Amino acid sequence: MSPLPALVLLPIMGGGLAWLTERIQLHTATTSPPSRNASWWMMLATLIVETLLLAGITFGHPTRTGPWLEHFSMPWIPTMGIAVRLDLDGLSLSLIWLSLILCFLCACLATRQVTVKSGAFYFLFLMTLTGIIGTFVATDLFLFFFFWELMLVPMFVLIAVWGHEDRQRAALKFFMFTQGSGLLMLLSILGLVITHDRETGVLTFDYFALAQTPLSPTLSMLLMLGFFIAFAVKLPVVPVHVWLPDAHTQAPTAASVLLAGILLKTGGYGMIRFNVMLFPDAAIHFAPIAMGLGVVGVLYGAWLSCAQNDIKRLIAYSSISHMGFVVLGIFTGSRLGMQGAIIQMLAHGLSAGALFLIAGAIQDRLHTRDMHRIGGLWAAMPRLSASGLFFAVASLGMPGLGNFTGEFLVLLATWPVSPAIATLTTVGLVLAAIYALRMVNRVFLAAPRVDPLLLKDLPARQTAVFACVMIFLVVLGLYPQPFMIFSGPSPLSVTATTSREDHAP
Amino acid sequence: MIGHDVFLPTPLPVLCVGITVMLAATAWRRSVDRSFLSGMVTLLLALAFVGHHTGTAPDNGDSLFIQDRWTNYTAILIMLSSMCILLMSWRDGTHDRTTLVDEYPLLCMLGALGALTMVFSANYMPFFLGLEILGISLMGLVTFRHRPVMQGCEAAMKYLILSGVSSAILLFGVGLAYGVTGSLRFMPPITTGDVSPALPVAATVMILIGMFFKLSVVPFHMWLLDVMEGAPVPVAAFLAVVSKIAIFSALVRYFGTGDQPPFLNDILYVVIILTIIGGNLLALRQTSFTRLLACSSIAHVGYLLIAFLCPGRLQSGAITVYLAAYTASTLGVFAIVTAMITPERPDGTVIAQWKGLFFSHPFLASAMSLMLLSLAGIPPGIGFFAKFEIAATGVEHQRNLLLGVLIIGSIIGLYYYLNIIRVMMTAPPLPSASLNRHVRPELMALVIVLTVIVVIGGLFPARAIHPLLPVSPVVPAMQNEMTMH
Repeated sequence: MSPLPALVLLPIMGGGLAWLTERIQLHTATTSPPSRNASWWMMLATLIVETLLLAGITFGHPTRTGPWLEHFSMPWIPTMGIAVRLDLDGLSLSLIWLSLILCFLCACLATRQVTVKSGAFYFLFLMTLTGIIGTFVATDLFLFFFFWELMLVPMFVLIAVWGHEDRQRAALKFFMFTQGSGLLMLLSILGLVITHDRETGVLTFDYFALAQTPLSPTLSMLLMLGFFIAFAVKLPVVPVHVWLPDAHTQAPTAASVLLAGILLKTGGYGMIRFNVMLFPDAAIHFAPIAMGLGVVGVLYGAWLSCAQNDIKRLIAYSSISHMGFVVLGIFTGSRLGMQGAIIQMLAHGLSAGALFLIAGAIQDRLHTRDMHRIGGLWAAMPRLSASGLFFAVASLGMPGLGNFTGEFLVLLATWPVSPAIATLTTVGLVLAAIYALRMVNRVFLAAPRVDPLLLKDLPARQTAVFACVMIFLVVLGLYPQPFMIFSGPSPLSVTATTSREDHAP
Repeated sequence: MIGHDVFLPTPLPVLCVGITVMLAATAWRRSVDRSFLSGMVTLLLALAFVGHHTGTAPDNGDSLFIQDRWTNYTAILIMLSSMCILLMSWRDGTHDRTTLVDEYPLLCMLGALGALTMVFSANYMPFFLGLEILGISLMGLVTFRHRPVMQGCEAAMKYLILSGVSSAILLFGVGLAYGVTGSLRFMPPITTGDVSPALPVAATVMILIGMFFKLSVVPFHMWLLDVMEGAPVPVAAFLAVVSKIAIFSALVRYFGTGDQPPFLNDILYVVIILTIIGGNLLALRQTSFTRLLACSSIAHVGYLLIAFLCPGRLQSGAITVYLAAYTASTLGVFAIVTAMITPERPDGTVIAQWKGLFFSHPFLASAMSLMLLSLAGIPPGIGFFAKFEIAATGVEHQRNLLLGVLIIGSIIGLYYYLNIIRVMMTAPPLPSASLNRHVRPELMALVIVLTVIVVIGGLFPARAIHPLLPVSPVVPAMQNEMTMH
């Protein structure tokens, strides 16, 4: 029995339990403070069980037979050739690990502040997690699309109910952009399936079967574009990024972390898994445009980031810039670039997630995100400021930390393809230094502007949590080799049942 | 043409007897509850007899009625929806307590009878009779709103006039068709040699226009918004669900499910594009819930027509699932709207009044969001799979323009559905203690059942498409005739 369905369903069920716990406690006891904790513990327990399960999958396979670690298949809608097909490879596994780490971060640092209807908050939070994990493991295109859409709904509610001042407009924008582009992907999926049906007479949504579909170059390009637009909106790539700054800024801290840390990575994951691997030829033809978009994203995101005064908005724009590297890496067409993109995704997930948490912590204390009104936090909150400095420096690409590895690998892979693009991209690194250091200066180092009585430093426990993330980033930066090998996407033709070692050293 | 041995699907006589009994009971002693109860029992009985018939069907297909899986399926949908609507209307808070309203269930039953007759008909005569029974009983139902009396009357007048005009056009078309073929069989007229080909085309177009009026696709949609707004909420649900299913079922029966003749294709193309875009754009500016649902039902008919235009392996599945999804979700939304209207809050259909529903009625608000998301085509509602199927039929036939329109329409649709959810999430201006927290238990049960259907149907749609109907058995007959000519 494969553990994959459990992996997908566990969070949503745990979330339901957390919600129930809260409701039961509200009905039985009128004293609210202890009751809130019960549902929180329930969420934490869910996450722990999920982690144990994942650890079991990761380390429990000494006799691994192929690059696909796990496989699960069960008929769902047989008349349409749709099945519940779940497969796990290194890429999915590493992204799921990233999701879980960030969820722990949120659970420890950001959800205690949620006081209104916290049970529902936990439920929606974990439901988003289910959608994300499902997206990472689904190898049936219908199922993939199902999860892809499913994760939007709870995120929409999270932003619209628990967000900041302009939350509802931001939530609407987020939903409309991602859903609209998702419909294009739906058409592409259907086009691929129907073409496969015409060619072979088999109506199926199986990823591995569809990868063998013979396609004419034009059709292949069209279908790939449908996928690309959906992923580009999610990632985001520059002309379709407009939803991102609003959504990230207005979302509650935990949702911002989820958005920046993992939701964006589903776009990168989709590009690797679907664009490049399903349509390799079309992807090569499209690569110059995609790389151009990537560079534009790097520069534009960094440039705008330099001009922001809202901390969360600054981090949001810096995410656009960093995701530009991911597009660039994926479409270099080399293994090195792909590895760089994956490392960049992991490192950015950690560093941006942590930065959003710090911004959230500042906002909780000062009730503002405006950098003009925050300043000189270092004296009053050394621990928080030091963590902030660390993650800001990580995000600007300091050697020795994960982000640098990712960016460096991407640039290395880009150089042989186009030295001009590589050179241009380097300018993005300079801009990154400007915005990151500007933020550090304004927020932590400038003259104090706020009443120090308001400022309470991070408690030791929370600092310890941040320290764990720092360690991850350092490991990613200093010894990325195992991650590079491990987290590559598995080749198409091989499932867990057949044995073939295809790992480059 | 009609032998002694009349072929008659059993639900029709059952309904007739039930209605007669109700009528007699009303004449004897008036009681609203008994009227509603006997209506429910009659519908249940008719539902139990849905697969049965009396008499034998003549082999040449020249009977008044027809019965196959498609009729049975739509008949079941119609009867279940009628039951839901009866349940919604029972103890309706907006009814005037001083007058007895036992005509109301009677008219509802008559409407259901008309709809069923249309579904089962294989001849112009029962079809037209059914259409008129449905139309006339609906006119009575529309006036049942007592609150602003004039609005109800205005809506009924609009309905009367436009329905009369469309019936006249349809009847003219039927007459032309009879003139061309000399037969009243319910199928598009086919030229028999020396007649000019323009005549059958004119007949088909006129019949189509008549049907379009009733189905309220876009150039013929103007009446629907006002009528639905003026009518009581359950009657609006009746208009949006029962009468549309009946007409759509008849449309599919009439034109069959094969490839349509080119002129029809062109007309449908234009109509679908107008319907989807027009319906969705109209919905954007609505402030009343019933008007918004009227617009969204226009758009949904547009999506359904895409599947109608794309014959093939996926078509019947798409139509079946879409009808079920549309019925369940729309009825769910209307049931919740009904629950929100109380004598203290008669303006429950104004969207702005729904502020803070998530805080005052969390369950109803969640169910409402689920229904709306299902209508918008978002998982886990059944509407997601339904829209997916519609898109699949379109892709199979490479109707790229229609697919583009489908996407644009869906995005616009998403906006106004989400907007309602947004309003419900907005914190209310003041803690509304005056809000009636008590919801009628039968409505609550109905909402729960419909929610379960929507979720289960969305997660396990295989069951819904499993008993796939060969949508039209008329097709082989028609093709035979075509080859004969």
